[in-house]
Amino acid sequence: MPRREEYVEISPSDFFYRNKDIAGFDNPVRATYMIVRELVENALDACDRAGRAGNIYVAFRGKGSGVFQVEVLDDGIGVPEDEIPKAFGKVLYSSKYVLRQSRGTFGLGGTMALLYGQITTHEPFEVCSSIGDGYAARYRLRIDIQNNKPIVERKQRIKVPPGATFTLVKLTFEGNYERAKGKILEYLKQTAIITPYINIVFRDPKGAIYVFPRATTKLPEEPKESKYHPYGVDVEVLKRLISETKTRNLVSFLSKSFQSMGRQTAIKVLKKARLDPEKNPRKLTDRELVKLVRALRSYDKFRAPDASCLSPVGEEALEKGIVKELRPEFVKVVQRPPSAYEGHPFIVEVGVAYGGGVPATGDIVLYRFANRIPLLYDAASDVAYKVIRKIDWSTYYVDPARTPMAVFVHICSTKIPFKTVGKEFIADKPEIAREIELGIRECARALRSYILKKIAKQRIVERYKIMRKYYEIISESLSEILGRRIDPTPVLKRIAKPAGEEVSENGEADNRENL
Amino acid sequence: MEKLTIEKIYEIAEKIGEMIERGEPPLLEYPPASTSNIEFSEHEGYKFAPKYWSKILGSHIKSVKTLAGVIFALERCLDHMKSGLTMTKRDFYYLHKVEKFKGTLFPSDQRETDTRIVLLELITGLSREMLSITSDPRGEVYGDITLVDKSGNTIKLNKVGEMGYAVPPNPEHIKFKEINVKAVLAVEKVGPAKNMIELKIPDEYNIAIAMLHGQPSRSMRRFLRMISDKGVPIAVLVDLSPWSIRIASTVIYNSIHSAHIPGLATPTAKFIGIHSSDVEEGGFFEKVSKVALEPLTEEDLKCAKDNLSIPSLMGKTWIRENKWFLEKKKKAELEIFKAMIRKSSELKDLYIRYLNMKFEEHLNLSLKE
Repeated sequence: MPRREEYVEISPSDFFYRNKDIAGFDNPVRATYMIVRELVENALDACDRAGRAGNIYVAFRGKGSGVFQVEVLDDGIGVPEDEIPKAFGKVLYSSKYVLRQSRGTFGLGGTMALLYGQITTHEPFEVCSSIGDGYAARYRLRIDIQNNKPIVERKQRIKVPPGATFTLVKLTFEGNYERAKGKILEYLKQTAIITPYINIVFRDPKGAIYVFPRATTKLPEEPKESKYHPYGVDVEVLKRLISETKTRNLVSFLSKSFQSMGRQTAIKVLKKARLDPEKNPRKLTDRELVKLVRALRSYDKFRAPDASCLSPVGEEALEKGIVKELRPEFVKVVQRPPSAYEGHPFIVEVGVAYGGGVPATGDIVLYRFANRIPLLYDAASDVAYKVIRKIDWSTYYVDPARTPMAVFVHICSTKIPFKTVGKEFIADKPEIAREIELGIRECARALRSYILKKIAKQRIVERYKIMRKYYEIISESLSEILGRRIDPTPVLKRIAKPAGEEVSENGEADNRENL
Repeated sequence: MEKLTIEKIYEIAEKIGEMIERGEPPLLEYPPASTSNIEFSEHEGYKFAPKYWSKILGSHIKSVKTLAGVIFALERCLDHMKSGLTMTKRDFYYLHKVEKFKGTLFPSDQRETDTRIVLLELITGLSREMLSITSDPRGEVYGDITLVDKSGNTIKLNKVGEMGYAVPPNPEHIKFKEINVKAVLAVEKVGPAKNMIELKIPDEYNIAIAMLHGQPSRSMRRFLRMISDKGVPIAVLVDLSPWSIRIASTVIYNSIHSAHIPGLATPTAKFIGIHSSDVEEGGFFEKVSKVALEPLTEEDLKCAKDNLSIPSLMGKTWIRENKWFLEKKKKAELEIFKAMIRKSSELKDLYIRYLNMKFEEHLNLSLKE
């Protein structure tokens, strides 16, 4: 008798429940870190959207036997009352499905954190938020895993001062704080570097308070939503654009939906694809869709993608972030001009810090950021690591084995080319690697001239010290011969040039290298 | 003599001290002992004729060490002089080997302090002996000469033992009282010179014998010059070798190395042998010259080649002698006299014959008279 397999459909939340490791929740330590990270990132996004220098408070409380309660409070934009259940209780529900730079992409991580709490402790979670209308909505929620639906257990409206916007998420989960502590603090520190305009306060389960104060109130410019660049589309993106368009023919569709595309260009592209410009885009067959994508990608006269949808931190702000968290002796930050890989615009920001409070590890400390998120794992596989290894640092008068030195690489893009689902390291796209290298070299040149100046200054100081020793001998012997004290002070004053005066001799070294 | 030295030291110290007090980087100028500051002439030998000066500037990190070294040295010299003490070059080196000079004047080896001694001479224009740094007091003189030394003792140079009078480091203080010799014979090697004394040649023939011990010391050269200044002819007898013509020329002309010290050359001294003609056909040593000559070593040959560029060896005689070495690649030593005799009783006669011949030829003087 033939047997029939049973087939069932699973919901997105069910899928992620079964594949926790994909989102990084594969063990209690990693999950503890991931929960902080995901909730803090949502809070950061909320602050950015509010357009002001925000505050974030994170607090852990131990509940015994590995159970913790974590609270994350931000004074960001807030979530509208009616969106709260879905925004927090449904996987793949988000305001982030537009083409602009943001921290997460799919609204997945935050919900994963809540889901993880629910499955480890079977406790509901709480969300309380206000968008500034004088009321806050307070929900107690669960996720219906099988149906990917929020279950509202309790809902309250609370009066709050008008204009106050905030979001508070409270969640109970089973984890391991002790072992995750290092990563969590490192994550917060690096977050403080890359978002120097946010105050972060962290309370650990023992009540210790860590404060990462803001160094500036100036926010980076909000990223603008932008149209797709023709090089960056695939059939799926094309289908979605067609489903959203109000246009009725291909020429209008192309020129309205893509950047760098006027009617003339659209006609040329369509000619290349051998498609009728007057055809209704909704009537394209799958074969024609593929033809259109190929034509879009092979047309070679498009301008580079528009980078206004990107929001780099800015040289000044990143420098402030680095200075406040590391207190280095020297820092140089460079923002590279926008560039693009495979139709995706990106901007690279690079910093080099030297000496002072930079951790002395015997090697360059690499801080990686993607869309203002610190990347803490798998550094050795990252494109930035490879670039650093390629550089001969002795050219810049530094020995990474002996001098504490840190390199910061921030990549912002509408699509960061992460190499794995874990989103911890970036693939070595040649365009990105090149921008990173140019940025690092520019910083390193500044570092070199700083070091040369320092060496020159030290030489002057050393020289003076030696001079003084010899003049002491001279003075002693002369006094002995002449029978009266010869004081060397007048001549030493004359000889001791103010430190820094001889520096120009070496200053020219800056131009030695041509890239 | 000492007064001059003390005055010179005060003068330099005063000048440097004033500059320091004025806040001016001190400056010392001196003529370096480079070839362009040295002249050579047959009748005067090497002479220091400064044309340009070097500077030790107290604002230069490299100069300031030199300056400190010089001032310190002057102070120590003055101190030694006041205590009536002398020091050797080695002593001078040890003056710097003290804890407080670690990282400054502490010398890496003696060459460093030796170089500074030369610099002191150039800066002060005084010899190191005048600064109480004594040279190696090598060399003796035997003969009927009476002098009064520094301590006031009257000394007869043929009554102070079989080796004669050891020339003191600084002969400047010596006063000659009586000179009863018709010539001084300066001999490179101690062996033959000793034999001559043992054979009573100086006593019987009224000559003095000076033992050079190889390249003569400054004190010996100065002593010979002082005797020469009293009108006594000086004869120089050395090996027939590329090194030995340098020895002879140093007695006569002084050397480049000590050209800045006056009074070390004795231009009237004569180089009497051994000459190449003495071992050639018809020469004094003809009968043994086929077997008794030594071959030149690699170093000897190099020396002969280098001799071609030494200013004091440009004269006719020197060029002829040097050419002989380069051609024949042979040398003869003063011990060759021993190859000429069967019995030691023949030696005295041999010496007398040779010296008489040479004195007549070069000093226009008969030994036997």
